[in-house]
Amino acid sequence: MRNTFRGGVHPEEHKELSREARFRLYDPQGEMVFPLQQHIGKPAKPVVSKGDEVLVGQKIAEADGFVSAHIYSSCSGKVKAIEKRRVLGGGMAECIVIDNDRQFTPAADWSERDNEAKLSTDDIIQRVQDAGIVGLGGAGFPTHVKLKPKDPDAIEYVIANGAECEPYLTCNDQLMRTHAPAIVEGLELVLRLFPNAEGIICIEDNKPEAIHAMEIAASGKQRIAVRTMITKYPQGGERSLIQAVTGIDFPISKLPADVGCIVQNVGTLFAIQRAVLYHEPLFRQCFTLTGEAVLEPSNFIVRVGTSYAELLEACGGVKPGKTAVKALAGGPMMGIAMGSLDVPIQKQNNGLTLLAEDPVLMAEKQMTACLHCGRCTTVCPVGLMPQLMADAAIAGNLERYEKKLYGLECIQCGSCTVACPAKRPLMQTFKQAKAEIQEKKKREGAGQK
Amino acid sequence: MNGVLNLSSSPHTRDRWTTPYIMRMVVLSLLPATVVGILVHGWQAFGIIALAIVSAVASEWVFDKVCHKPSTIWDGSAVVTGLLLGLSLGPKTPLYLPVIGSVFAIVVCKGCFGGLGKNFINPALAARCFLLISFANAMTIKPSIDAVASATPMGALKAFEQVDITKMFLGTADGVIGSSILALLIGGLLLWSLDIIHGQICFSVLIGFTLLIGLFGGEGFNPRFLLAHLCGGGVVMGAFFMATDYVTSPVSRLGQFIYGCLIGVLGGIFRLWGNTADSFSYAIIIGNVCTPLIDTYIVQKPLAYRKIGRTRRVKREPFRIPKPVIALTIIAVIAGLALSGVFFVTKDTIEEQAMLEAAAAYTSVIPGAKSLKIAEETADLLGDDGIDQGSAHINACYVGKDGDGKVLGYALSITAKGFGGNIVMALGLTPEGEVVDIAFTEISETAGLGMKATEPAFKDQFAGKSGTLTLVKGAASADNEISAISGASVTSNAVTGAVNAGLEFFRTVLKGGN
Repeated sequence: MRNTFRGGVHPEEHKELSREARFRLYDPQGEMVFPLQQHIGKPAKPVVSKGDEVLVGQKIAEADGFVSAHIYSSCSGKVKAIEKRRVLGGGMAECIVIDNDRQFTPAADWSERDNEAKLSTDDIIQRVQDAGIVGLGGAGFPTHVKLKPKDPDAIEYVIANGAECEPYLTCNDQLMRTHAPAIVEGLELVLRLFPNAEGIICIEDNKPEAIHAMEIAASGKQRIAVRTMITKYPQGGERSLIQAVTGIDFPISKLPADVGCIVQNVGTLFAIQRAVLYHEPLFRQCFTLTGEAVLEPSNFIVRVGTSYAELLEACGGVKPGKTAVKALAGGPMMGIAMGSLDVPIQKQNNGLTLLAEDPVLMAEKQMTACLHCGRCTTVCPVGLMPQLMADAAIAGNLERYEKKLYGLECIQCGSCTVACPAKRPLMQTFKQAKAEIQEKKKREGAGQK
Repeated sequence: MNGVLNLSSSPHTRDRWTTPYIMRMVVLSLLPATVVGILVHGWQAFGIIALAIVSAVASEWVFDKVCHKPSTIWDGSAVVTGLLLGLSLGPKTPLYLPVIGSVFAIVVCKGCFGGLGKNFINPALAARCFLLISFANAMTIKPSIDAVASATPMGALKAFEQVDITKMFLGTADGVIGSSILALLIGGLLLWSLDIIHGQICFSVLIGFTLLIGLFGGEGFNPRFLLAHLCGGGVVMGAFFMATDYVTSPVSRLGQFIYGCLIGVLGGIFRLWGNTADSFSYAIIIGNVCTPLIDTYIVQKPLAYRKIGRTRRVKREPFRIPKPVIALTIIAVIAGLALSGVFFVTKDTIEEQAMLEAAAAYTSVIPGAKSLKIAEETADLLGDDGIDQGSAHINACYVGKDGDGKVLGYALSITAKGFGGNIVMALGLTPEGEVVDIAFTEISETAGLGMKATEPAFKDQFAGKSGTLTLVKGAASADNEISAISGASVTSNAVTGAVNAGLEFFRTVLKGGN
């Protein structure tokens, strides 16, 4: 029995490029850059200063408040500077730059396993917080915050997200194949926080090996089940997964915990297992470097702070005869287009896709007027009517956009844009409309004061 | 790495569906109807379709040029408009009409309102209605197949006459070029199975129409009656190809359902109580103009707002038969029904033909008879199966009368056992009981021997005879003797026996009755 959600699209997967590539451990040679903001919330505060010697796994920046996360060094060496550097997304941000001594001397060896039976729930959350773990699925929300809902007893499902619906990316697939028992242990640790919850591991049906490995690892576990999902984007989105598992749809103003669900990426669960049982802080994660323009598409266990450009060189660089026209941090659905590869890999990043052809450029050439075909309405996982939303947004009728069409419920998954036969830039229109509405609300709020 | 990297907002991929792809699939799905139309109606139909398409594309090109807009002819929508218009014209339409229609569709209905996606009514349909109103006489569908038939099936339906459903279904009846229901259904179901058209629209149109005709048509849900209405007047074309036009139909599922029902019901009302055969075109146009209203007020709420709480069940993979399978099944069933329909129709025709031949035979044995009826005095005795008489079997007895009702004679249908199977013959008798003539309606004796029974040399011997006849070899010497066919005694015996049985029947039943 395969589960799924309403709507969605099935973009070309391209996962075959790196599907069978085993994890490579890559030790970077160049300088390492650690942005202070690698998570949602307040930026971390540096606890080292220029000239300090640091070791692998040493805390270099501390969380500023509850909704924030510590940052650990992934290399050993000397702090070169704390300055503004270019980061993902094109902007400049405060970063700690470490001159890598290429020794990778660890601060501890993280091989001694704690007796998990002795750990209290508070211990588990504390260790997750101490390790600086954030959601590794892409959002980067601090995990310890997620693990502390108002009412832990009301949580019915802890969903392990192994859907990996993003085209091209395969590192979660590899992680589940190779580290299934550790992921299940991570899930068990999280389940201890929620006594009434059931653990559901969700994997799309295009990863049979991962499903098999996880089923073996989860067999005999009372509270854990593996569920196969139909391969469809955005299956790995929190809301789509909750809909597939529980049948509940909830407005954008509510959090998963409000409907009794906690969703954790399998990579995050693996990090939780390492942090809680071995005290290992988060300084490396799984990562896919792929795309038609890459010589050797690979899956990595990559150190945070490594430059994208350097990792690409480790894959043999750009394939001869091909030109990389677009670099995406992540996959084509949610990824951010990069202007330069000389930016560091952050905690929540899980891929680099280098395209030899730009589908957006081709789409722009094929763009026609809206046909009102209704395909966008069919694929919208939220149940919105993107075509009417676009009409309202372009006409400047933000009242109708927000009130009648529920435009602010859009989760910006981009399914409508992918499906549109007229190649209209729907999601871009919605982003703009949303920004305008928020701007207007802010102005009105200020006016009232 | 060198070169400039492109920047764009996510998502960075697109699906393979494009506007030209959709238009290509629509054209493809209209091809069966086009081919059938051309094959049935001839080259003028081809000329009409070709002219409609060419002038649609040309006027779009010119319009774009005049308006200094980038050319949009490659999106394929003009081809679809032209093809739809061509298919909805009669096969004998003067060739200037498709040109005028296409120009009107593209320039007035589409271009002037802003081009693709901006028109408020279906251009092809609007052009058809424009032609119907402005060139009413030239647009009247003239028979191209049955020169005798005076009315098209739609005209006949309106006049409550019987129509030939099978012909309408296959597209061989008089009507517009694209009137082959079978071909249109194949195309329409193809589009539906590819998810290009919305099932909510086409099926609610058909259901709404059927319900209205069934409830108020005066014939109840008589399948023959409903089928006749469904197969005619562009209902199928309208439901699958006109009403489903994206631009002029609502987006929400509920809106599409309302729109479809509206068209179906209006089409039915116009069909039953209106006085035009083109009711469906007008119904769709009214549906089109209601679309903006429906889209404004009927919008769907996001899933999260549709039902509060946890009432929705876990959405599991539903067991769903793939649409192409459903479409193929429907087509197979329909084709099967159509074939059996053809069989039944031709079977009737064969029997009718046989009946006619038999009737001719019976009339021929009573010269001058104007009417031929079952002789009432024998009806009870013979019933449906007839009786054995001597060596033969009397099937039926007819009485032939002239225009004034005077009895001219009797015709008997007699079966006798011949050499090669049953011989069925008509025996004509005068009112006095003398043989006038014999004729065979079924005989399969040996050629050159038994078959000589049908030749005058043998069969004319019976004329004027009465009483009991005897068969002799060689020449007949007495008045009641019949010369046998040499080498075919079985046949000779059978025929003579049959005539004797008929004479005996006359003496005992007809004469006795008198």
